[in-house]
Amino acid sequence: MTAAASLTLAGIHGFVWIRRRTALDSLAFCILAAGTAGMAGCELWMMHLNVLEDYGTALQLYNFLRWLVTIALVVFIHFSLKAGRPWLEWTVIGTRTLGLVLNFIVSPAVYYTSLEEIRRIPFLGSVVSVVDGIPNPLTIVGQLSLLLLAAYLVDTTLRSYRLHSPNRALRVGLSSVFFVLALSLQMMLVLWGVVDAPLVASLFFLGIVIVMGIELSEDMLRAARLAETLQSREVELGRQRQLTDAVLEGAPGILFLQSREGDMVRWNSQHEKTTGLSRQETSIRKSPEFFSEADRPLFLAQCARVFEEGSAEFEAEVLSKDGSTAPHLLRLTALELQGSPHAVGLGIDISAKRAYEREAANQRQKMEQLTRVASVSELSSSLAHEINQPLAIILSNAQAAQRLLARENPDLRELQEILDDIVAADIRAADVIKRLRSILQQGVPVLEPVAASALIDQALKICLPDLKAAGIQVVRRLPKRLPLLPADRIPIEQVLLNLFKNACEAMQECRERVLTISCVTEGPVVRFSVKDTGCGLPEDTDSVFEAFQTTKLRGLGLGLTICQSIVRAHGGRLWADRNRTRGATFHFTLPLNPESL
Amino acid sequence: MSASPKIYLVDDEPALLKALTRLLKAEGFDVASFVSATRFLEHPRPTGCGCLVLDEAMPGMTGLELQSRLNAEGCDLSIVFITGKGDIPMSVRAIKAGAVDFLTKPVKDSELLSVIRQALEKSEARVAERASVTLLRDKHDRLTARERDVLRLAVQGLPNKQIASDLGIVEQTVKVHRSRVMSKMGAESFAQLVLFSEKLRTFFPQ
Repeated sequence: MTAAASLTLAGIHGFVWIRRRTALDSLAFCILAAGTAGMAGCELWMMHLNVLEDYGTALQLYNFLRWLVTIALVVFIHFSLKAGRPWLEWTVIGTRTLGLVLNFIVSPAVYYTSLEEIRRIPFLGSVVSVVDGIPNPLTIVGQLSLLLLAAYLVDTTLRSYRLHSPNRALRVGLSSVFFVLALSLQMMLVLWGVVDAPLVASLFFLGIVIVMGIELSEDMLRAARLAETLQSREVELGRQRQLTDAVLEGAPGILFLQSREGDMVRWNSQHEKTTGLSRQETSIRKSPEFFSEADRPLFLAQCARVFEEGSAEFEAEVLSKDGSTAPHLLRLTALELQGSPHAVGLGIDISAKRAYEREAANQRQKMEQLTRVASVSELSSSLAHEINQPLAIILSNAQAAQRLLARENPDLRELQEILDDIVAADIRAADVIKRLRSILQQGVPVLEPVAASALIDQALKICLPDLKAAGIQVVRRLPKRLPLLPADRIPIEQVLLNLFKNACEAMQECRERVLTISCVTEGPVVRFSVKDTGCGLPEDTDSVFEAFQTTKLRGLGLGLTICQSIVRAHGGRLWADRNRTRGATFHFTLPLNPESL
Repeated sequence: MSASPKIYLVDDEPALLKALTRLLKAEGFDVASFVSATRFLEHPRPTGCGCLVLDEAMPGMTGLELQSRLNAEGCDLSIVFITGKGDIPMSVRAIKAGAVDFLTKPVKDSELLSVIRQALEKSEARVAERASVTLLRDKHDRLTARERDVLRLAVQGLPNKQIASDLGIVEQTVKVHRSRVMSKMGAESFAQLVLFSEKLRTFFPQ
C-alpha cells in the first residue's frame, strides 16, 4: 500500500519533471517517492524471508534505498525551502554515503556484524519475519547521518521560517523533522533489539512523502492559478498596447516616449514620416538627434527642465533625413516608467501657422505702406499747398531779379534781399519734401531732442488755414516749462496733424467749435491731449483705432492706425476718451527717457 | 505812378507777397499788397480800372468770398486767382463769377503778366462801359413818364397803332413821342435805341 501510494506520487512528479526540466524539486521528490516505494517493497520482502543469507542481501539493498531517499530528501528540501546551509547539506550526504560504502564493505550488512537467526513474530495481526543478530557498532554512522539530517532539517526550517514563507517552512520542515526523528528512533530500537518489530522506515518516509506531496501539489495549484492570472494579464496588456498604439497613432503630430538619457522607447509612424527615418534608424538614435543642430541645446535644456518641473512647452525645428526642417510646437511631459524617469513628447507641425504669420506680417506691412500712401493723399492738399508756396516764392523772386538785372543800374541791395528770400524759401521746400519722404518710408524713429511746443506749433501752422476755414477756435494750453523730449519730429507732427484734422472733421456739424491742445509732463512721459467739441466717440473708444473703422464718407479709416503705430514706435501710447460734456479727447504719451524704449 | 493802372495783391503768405510785388514793380506796375481779404476791405475802395490778384486759400475770408462781396458792390476791378491747391469746381465757380483766370502756384512771370494785362484791358473796358451806360441813364432820366412808356413798348417791337391803343392815346401822338425819345436818347436809328435800352436793362434791371 505504501509502495502503491509512493509510486503514484513518484509517477505524477516524474511526469511534472519531464514536462518542466527546471523543476528540480519535482525530480527530487520523484526519486524520494520512488525510493520510498522501493523501501516499502524491500521491507515487505524482508518480512517474508526465511533464509538468513537473503536477509543480508535485502538489508544491503535496503540500505542503498535509504541512501537514495536521504539524498533525494536533502535535494528536495534544498530546492523547496531554499534556505539550507550548503556545508550541512554536504555533511549529511557525505555521512550517508560513508554509511552506504561501509554497507557494501562489511558483510552481511552495516547493521549487524553477524546474523544469528530468523524469527517469526506476530505484527499487526499477521506473522512476519524478523532477524536476530549482533548489532554492528558502525551502524552509528547511519544513525549519525540521520541525526545530521534532522539537524539540517531543523536548521533549514528555522532559516526558511525567517527568510521566506513561515507557513510552508513549518509544514514541510517540522513534519520532516518529526518523521526523521521517529524513523531514527524506530530503527535504533529495532536494530539494537530493544523492540521486537520489523523495519518499517518506509512508513515514516511515506509520511514525509505525503506531506511534501501535498505541498508540491499546492505549489502546482498555485502555479496554475498564477499562469491563469498571467494569461489574463497578458490579454489586458495586449489590450492596453492596442490602446496606446491607437493613442500614439491618433496623435495630431509626432509622439514619442524617451528615457531620461534620451533613448527612444516608443514613437508613432508620424515621427518616422517627419524625420524620414525607419524604425531601425530611429531606435539607434538619441532624442536630440531628431532636431536641427541649432535647436539641440534648446531641446536638451528643455528636457532637463521637464525632469525637474514635470512639463515644458517650446518650439523647435524637427530635422528630416533629407536635411530639411519643419518648425514644431513641442510639449514634453515627465512620467515614471518601470521605476525610471521618462518623458513623453508631442510635437505639432506649425509650418502652416508660421507661413500664415509671415503672410499676415507681409500683408500688414503692405497695408501699412498703403495706409501711409492713403494718408498722404488725404493730406496731399495741405502738403501741395505747403510745397507750392515756397516754389512760387522762389520763382517770382527769381523772375523779379531777372528783370532787375536787365536794367542799366540794378539795385544790388534789393537783389541781395531777393536772394536771401529765395534761400529761405528753398529751405522751406526741402523741409516739406523731407516730411513727405519720412511719411512714405516710415522706419525706426530717429530720435532727437525736440521741444513739445515746437511740435505742436509746427503742426498747427500747417493746418491752421483749414482750422480757420472751418471756423474753429484754437486754444493752446501749454505750461511755460516743458522739457525737451527725444522724438522723430516729422512723424510726431504727422500724428498731431491727423488728430487736428479728425477734430476738425468731427466739429463740422457743430455750433460750438473749440479745439483745445494741451501738453503736460507726467512722471517719465509727456502727455499731449487734443480735445474737441465735436460729435464724440462710440462707447468702445478703442474701436476707433481699428483699421478701416471710419465715420467719414471719404478716407480709409487708417489715419489713427498709423498714428498708433508711430506713437508705439516711440515707446508711447495713444488712446481716446469721451468728454464729460461733449466731444472727444485724444491723448498720446512720449517717454522722456529713450533708454526705457 | 498814380496814373498807371493799379495792381492789388492779396495773399496770406508774406514772402510770396513780397516776391510778387517785386516782380510786378519791376514790370512797372503800381502795386499795393495785403496779407488778408479783411485788410483789403479796410482799404478805401479803389476807383477806375485795376486788377486784383487774389489767393484763393486764405485763413479768414477766402478769395471766392471776397470776389462775391466785390461783385455785389459793383466793383470794376478784374480778378485773377492764384492758388496753391485749386480744384476744378473751385475754378469753375471763380470764372463764372467773372474772374479773368485761375492760376496755380507757382506761376510763371510771362503767364502772370499776360493774364494781368488781359485783366486790365477788361477792367478798362468795363470802366468805359460803365461811363457810357451812366450817360445813357442820365439821358433816360430826362425822358417824361409818357415818353418812357412809349420807349418800353416800342423796343418790345409793338406797332404804333397797338401802342396808341394800349396807352389810350391817338397814333399821331405816339409818333411825336417816339421821335422825341430818339432825339433825347441820341439814337440814330431804331436799332440803336433798342441796343441802348438793353444796356440800361442789364446795368439797372428796374
